[in-house]
Amino acid sequence: MKTDFVAVLQDLAEVREVPLKGIKISSTGGEPGAEMADAEAEPVYGPRVRDDIQGNIIPGFNKDHQHFLFFKLGSAKAARVWLRWLTPRISSMDEVLAFVRAHRSLRLKLGVREPGLKATWVNVAFSYEAIAKLAGRDQADAFDERSFRQGLAERSAHLGDPEDPNAPGHRANWVVGGPENEAEILVIVASDDSDDLAEMVDVITQEATQARMELVFEQLGRTLPGSLRGHEHFGFKDGISQPGIRGRVSSAPGDFITPRYVNAADPHAGIFAKPGQMLVWPGQFLLGERRQNTESMTASAPAASNFPKWARRGSYVVCRRLLQDVPAFLQFVADAAATLGLPEVRVASMLVGRWPSGAPLMRVPDADDPVLAGDEFANNHFLFDDDTRPSGLRPIPGYAGDSHPAARADVLGAVCPHFAHIRKVNPRDVATDLGKPADGLLRMILRRGIPFGSPLAGVKKPSRKLVAQERGLVFLCYGSSIEDQFEFLTRRWANSTIQPNLGGHDPIIGQEGREPRARVVDFPTPAGPVRLHLKREWVTVTGGGYFFAPPISAITDVLGS
Amino acid sequence: MPFITRFDTPGSLRDAPEGSPFYGRWHRYVAGLIARITPGSGGGEFFDPSESDFTAAATRTLVWMGFPRDLMVTRHRDDRDRAFADGEDRSLQEEYLEWRVTKKRGKVTKVVFVTETPDYWIELAAEHPDRVLQLYRELVSPAVARGDLFPSGGPYDPFNQWNTTKGIVHYVQRINTLSAAVGLAQGSVNTGSARDNFDIPPGDQTSADPRVQLDIGTLSRKGLSLTLAEPVGLYIAGWDETGWAKPDGSPVGNYWTIRRGAPGATLRVEYAVPSGEGFVVGDIRIGGRPIRTGGEIAEHLTVMIRGAAGSRRG
Repeated sequence: MKTDFVAVLQDLAEVREVPLKGIKISSTGGEPGAEMADAEAEPVYGPRVRDDIQGNIIPGFNKDHQHFLFFKLGSAKAARVWLRWLTPRISSMDEVLAFVRAHRSLRLKLGVREPGLKATWVNVAFSYEAIAKLAGRDQADAFDERSFRQGLAERSAHLGDPEDPNAPGHRANWVVGGPENEAEILVIVASDDSDDLAEMVDVITQEATQARMELVFEQLGRTLPGSLRGHEHFGFKDGISQPGIRGRVSSAPGDFITPRYVNAADPHAGIFAKPGQMLVWPGQFLLGERRQNTESMTASAPAASNFPKWARRGSYVVCRRLLQDVPAFLQFVADAAATLGLPEVRVASMLVGRWPSGAPLMRVPDADDPVLAGDEFANNHFLFDDDTRPSGLRPIPGYAGDSHPAARADVLGAVCPHFAHIRKVNPRDVATDLGKPADGLLRMILRRGIPFGSPLAGVKKPSRKLVAQERGLVFLCYGSSIEDQFEFLTRRWANSTIQPNLGGHDPIIGQEGREPRARVVDFPTPAGPVRLHLKREWVTVTGGGYFFAPPISAITDVLGS
Repeated sequence: MPFITRFDTPGSLRDAPEGSPFYGRWHRYVAGLIARITPGSGGGEFFDPSESDFTAAATRTLVWMGFPRDLMVTRHRDDRDRAFADGEDRSLQEEYLEWRVTKKRGKVTKVVFVTETPDYWIELAAEHPDRVLQLYRELVSPAVARGDLFPSGGPYDPFNQWNTTKGIVHYVQRINTLSAAVGLAQGSVNTGSARDNFDIPPGDQTSADPRVQLDIGTLSRKGLSLTLAEPVGLYIAGWDETGWAKPDGSPVGNYWTIRRGAPGATLRVEYAVPSGEGFVVGDIRIGGRPIRTGGEIAEHLTVMIRGAAGSRRG
């Protein structure tokens, strides 16, 4: 087995998903077997409502090609005309969900990963200033989410970004979103086809120019090629763990937004949609919907009302353009591996909590396992504090069952360290500095990021020119509170050495706000923890913004009227 | 031979002279809170290390947010200002962290945070009332009179004015006591038939209680012997000033003064801007927002209790 991390990435096997085939799932109806008796009723998102929710919130675009356009308004009047032009092009939850279901249905029926369906989608979001200009200051001020009103630049230092104005990550040096170049409108264009994407981007920017809008910045995002598909630039599979949103597409039995696979008889069936995917009430992501109860893993709580009425079923958007310094990461991994006497790939994987393929250390502590990584019913099925029981699954035709090694209790973080990225930002069953695991559900976000730039991971003898190119992640997430979700995860957990559990900073996204900004991780070894100092930073924020993705009706009726 | 011969004072404080009977008295008090053995689930147990020997396999520090979760998350999840305003009431400061704010002309000038327990001060006062009076005068005000602390010459009054309306020395919130914290830890070893934390009922709305219950219960289910690490006590683990800015926007300096305990295990800390800086605490902005209450600082303080897990012998 190769242990040199660079060599591992060079030879990375493409993750093969479990080859399910011959399964027919209805794109319009539900699966009665997914119902749980006595479960709290979940809201039905009928066609009219689905038509009003932007599709990148739910279920998410998840396209290989995405383009982010950051605009500043010129004339509000002209911008309103542009918005009315744009609105029919905005892709709703209904459209995206129908596509996702058709795609999934065809994929399962044919047993192929890419059944050839294509689509190009558009979504839009507005800053506090944009809403003030388009709908009036009183409407913008009616958003009670203070972080949104303040904007990313003002919250930057609190998020641990550099306070030294000479540092590349200081807000004054951002390509967008700094005090002098804050974007007011974010347009997200996503497509299966790069030409289709470019065509739609051209049309939108031309129309925007006519509406006297200034394109402050744009960023093309693209899924990494070949065996790195779905991976981020450090080489790890990304986006495996997403919350399962509660709610129904129709009142037909079992017609849930998030498909349910856990058998009703399983003791945790009320918590998970599929093994490891925790269910969360939609109000955590859509304003004005029933939210997660603060004390319960399963119960709902009343909807919030601290926003203008027209904003119901919209969502806050956090965008952060993150540069990734791949050589710095690899150098740290090599040095740490030498210090610890461990294989590089193990050290790198312990920083993340998963092997490069995405297989969780908790299930396969000794070596990567691409087959496990490709098994969507197993690759996220693990707890940290206790042995993980087999999950009772409903019959899934074509799926032979989860025969991978079960995760064993790892209370002390010997296998998946407390600092590991996936353990930091999703503690699962573990108590945290805010108590019970149910509190963790209040922190979950819908991640919709995509890499940008050419990969360096896995490239043999990269040229200097390639090394010097910018690469990173357009981090994008949705939630109903920026402060209680994205900022909480960043500030309270990723950036802390002691929260949610002692062990060091999150070595992937965590920052130490105080100079000299050096981070630490207490690396578990049989002889006890070894403190490693992470003197260099390999993720640097270079821009972004806080936005609000309104319901589509409000774009015409309020912001564009 | 037992693992420890004498429970030390919180933070290894030496408020009484060496050789004082107070130290034995404190040991007996703590020992009295811990049963020799409390059997737990999965073969685990909580035990008194002054009665049994022990091989520690790991220590575990349990941390939680200093500001009451019940106010911030449960009661006022959509009204942070209200949560912070309510949090100034010490009877609601239930996360084993209490604070008192001093304001001048409506602006916060000083906040004092404590994790000291009434248990300790009652025991100290029973042996050394003069020392208690001296400490009050040092920590709160030279104006403290003996009769204020020992009304009518009687026993120490933990709810005296210098620890309530006029100052702060130790906890006054009803359930903030060492006996409650030890009882919580000790009582958490039995998790019934639970096989993981999702099987445990949600419990309290605080951060501290579920944190301790779940972490202790988890370790117990692994068949481990558990106890609190010396010196037994509740501590401020630290504070996070990331993004705290002076009025000119630059990062704040170090305005913390640890009065009791040590960095990383603090019992009393004061936050006040030195007069030479030309501004006060209320002028500092956290993430762009001015400090109006002590709770806005307490949110960034972390409280802890330390435990040890291993195997008991004898």
